[in-house]
Amino acid sequence: MTTRPLYVGIDLGTTNSTVAVFDAEEITLIRNSLGSVLTPSVVRIDARGNVTVGARARRFLDTDPTNTRSEFKRLMGTTHQLEFPASGTVRRPEELSAEVLKSLRQDVADQLGVAPQRAVVSVPALFELHQTAAASNAAMRAGFERVELIQEPVASAIAAGWTQGGSNGPWLVYDLGGGTFDVSLLETREGLLRVVGHDGDNFLGGRDFDRALMDLAIARLAADGVVIDRANPQHARALRQLRLAAEEAKIELTRAGEAPIFIAGLDVDGQVVDVDLVVTRPDYEAAVGPLIDRSLAICTRLLAANGLGDGALERVVLVGGPTVTPLLRERVRAVLGADFGEGLDPMTLVAQGAALFAGTVALDGRPAAKAPPSTGPKVWLQFPAMTSDLTPFVVGKLLEQANTIKQIKISRSDGEWQSEPTPCEADGTFAVMVRLLARQNTSFAVQGLDGNGQAVTLQPANFSIAHGITLGDPPLSRSIGVALADNRVQVYFNRGSPLPIRRTFVLHTVETVHPGTEGHVLKVPIVQGEFAWAHLCRLVGTLEIPSTELSAPLPVGSEVELMLELDRGGQLRAQARIADLDRIFDQVALLMTPQVSLEALADALNKLRTRAADLSRAAFLDRSGKTAARLSAAVPRLDEAEQNIRAAHGGDLDAGEQARRMLSDFDALLAEIEAEQAWPELGRKIEESFAMAVSWVAGHGNDAERSTLNETYQACKRAFVARDADEVERQRAVIERLGVAAYFRHPGAWEWEFERCAARVGESTDVRRASELAAKGREAVRQRDRETIERIVRELWSLAPVDHDEQKLGHGSGLRKR
Amino acid sequence: MTTGDPLALWRSNPFFVLEVATDATPTDVERAGQRLLALLTVGSANVQTYPTPLGPATRDAEQIRQALAALRDPEQRVLHELWASVIPAGGQASANGNAGPWEEAERALGWSALWAR
Repeated sequence: MTTRPLYVGIDLGTTNSTVAVFDAEEITLIRNSLGSVLTPSVVRIDARGNVTVGARARRFLDTDPTNTRSEFKRLMGTTHQLEFPASGTVRRPEELSAEVLKSLRQDVADQLGVAPQRAVVSVPALFELHQTAAASNAAMRAGFERVELIQEPVASAIAAGWTQGGSNGPWLVYDLGGGTFDVSLLETREGLLRVVGHDGDNFLGGRDFDRALMDLAIARLAADGVVIDRANPQHARALRQLRLAAEEAKIELTRAGEAPIFIAGLDVDGQVVDVDLVVTRPDYEAAVGPLIDRSLAICTRLLAANGLGDGALERVVLVGGPTVTPLLRERVRAVLGADFGEGLDPMTLVAQGAALFAGTVALDGRPAAKAPPSTGPKVWLQFPAMTSDLTPFVVGKLLEQANTIKQIKISRSDGEWQSEPTPCEADGTFAVMVRLLARQNTSFAVQGLDGNGQAVTLQPANFSIAHGITLGDPPLSRSIGVALADNRVQVYFNRGSPLPIRRTFVLHTVETVHPGTEGHVLKVPIVQGEFAWAHLCRLVGTLEIPSTELSAPLPVGSEVELMLELDRGGQLRAQARIADLDRIFDQVALLMTPQVSLEALADALNKLRTRAADLSRAAFLDRSGKTAARLSAAVPRLDEAEQNIRAAHGGDLDAGEQARRMLSDFDALLAEIEAEQAWPELGRKIEESFAMAVSWVAGHGNDAERSTLNETYQACKRAFVARDADEVERQRAVIERLGVAAYFRHPGAWEWEFERCAARVGESTDVRRASELAAKGREAVRQRDRETIERIVRELWSLAPVDHDEQKLGHGSGLRKR
Repeated sequence: MTTGDPLALWRSNPFFVLEVATDATPTDVERAGQRLLALLTVGSANVQTYPTPLGPATRDAEQIRQALAALRDPEQRVLHELWASVIPAGGQASANGNAGPWEEAERALGWSALWAR
């Protein structure tokens, strides 16, 4: 095994985790010490501090639940601390995930004799930045020195594409895991696998199926006078026992027509009862049907968003334990109208794909071998470790002592093919097309030829390329940007942008930061979401520029060159360069979702209910049936959130986290509806902007501007009729810019603008500086020095007051656009 | 259509960036992208610029990835094929934003009629 590459892929699941390895030709699933390829994602820490992982730990979920933790994946990236009272320790979710990864790494070492140093770990496609960062940290804690993340549906698709080969056209990966639901639309053409788009629900999974069955059992028991309350912490143990029994019944119901839920001696408020219920498959299907429908609504939304109608799919690949549910398979087939990919193991497909992906990015897990003794000139080779192209390019550059090499020749190790001698460019670079063996890992030897055509051994002298699939860059699942002090968002990467990606914008500070002022920090909040307003997007990280690290004042209006970069797995890097201070800041802090108190959640829930009721009333009065229908379809999510808050009171941390997300999504939905209800107001704004622009452009614009203004106004009206709010705003901004440009051509404009700014000096962010500027400006006005007036006005603009309410909504951002 | 430099879009047409013909197969496109990315990685000076009908333009790895992503999407590809193919035959377009292929392309896409409504 060690002579071949060791590409390691890990599916870090909510319920179970799996590790697979790929040696450039075959995939092997690694068995744990109990002989299973599935390791339960369960961690136990006993009184002596010993850590147990997997099936051995899972046995204690019932008898020692306070020291045994499961389903912590859904809490990754939050500030939750999970207690293990027997040992008196607390662990964060990512530390527990690290224990699972460590255990899987050891399984590889036990089976193959090599502890891998590098691996690919899968994460749900809809994981947010702080969650992917937590997954990456967990892998590093587990002892991996380098890790790449891959989106789970992409991993499933790679594995399905590898196993089934050949087919062309669009297909769907329906991935219902223990805790998350991901659906991805993919396309294969000539071996190129492309993710067209994805959607999903970070809080829909097999666990919700267990809950539905558990609620059924609770209702039956209540009818018999045994009341189990999810909100009562005293009932936590009974609930855990019930859930384990429900999970077993759920598995049985995938094969049998009925299943028992039997628990001997369940203790409820001191009353000991034997639970003996029978659940039939129709009962179960009635309970989980709405969950399946929820997942299918997401699938059809994804297909519609990509212009695909009925019957367009080539096939559907099912991934995850819950997809063995007969009703689910039936409904998926009926709604999506495509056959399932056969012969694919839904439980291990993700790990297999992750291992294959490690192959495509040449992430060999073997510890680096000692460099061989120097035997010739060095060459830097670049080639795809795996590709669908049978004739890819091998590119290289000759490094030191290589000036005698004039040509390059590459030979296949089977002796059946060799390249023509290819001349090297003056800078030592070359590109040679090579011929691969189909569906194999092909080895090649590379040689240099000197001026006399004599062969020269290079180092490295050999390399190999596997023929398989080519993976298109995965698209970003949610837009990412920086919140500004006016509560708007500077979008950096739009949803769907291919990863990796990097972009830089220049922004400006809204206040002066003095060096050494304890606690004073310039915040750069990084947000994720599709809304123009920062408070509706999720805060996923903050780059902080603390005053304690400044050696000189950072004045208001200073330029900050802010770069954001995302890798293929969705890991973020941010860097702020302040040219005036010649400093670079790159510490992204607080990549965690803060814990919100249950009281605050309950309060938010009540406010959302009131807002939703007001909007429903307004929709009724406006006879807007569409809005009323949207609201009535969404309101049950509030009931669900309320149930989750109650469960969180009973000790279910995950339910609390789920409630938080649901309320946040609901808030965004209401904001969208409010924006729609304010639509006539937007129409008035367009007319106002146009009237202002026309008056100035007519007098001071040129022909091109007049014509552009007319075109833009027509485009704006068309967008208004199409109810495309983003396009309306974009066109309205153009109208305003045209008006402003013409206004400033008026000979008195800069003077008027100066008077307007001078009147608000007292509100400036730096009153002293603004007062000085106002005095100088008055002198310039007296002397009719228009150049100086313009310069002063521009500086006064940079000192314009910040609306602190908006800044607060903008996550406390210290930046704005000029 | 009313803002920005239309010629900038022209210069960054994915077919020009990747130096492939508009009838290139998906495999040809991927191979060209893979070769250019690899050459840029090793610091080849020869691939840092590419020819366009408006004169040479510079490219980086991100532009190449964006171009690959654009041509992998059939809908985007059709649009870029159209833009790349409406260059007036036998000469370079003018660098002046008011002349050159812009109006011709607009007409080819049927957008002029749309604006006139």
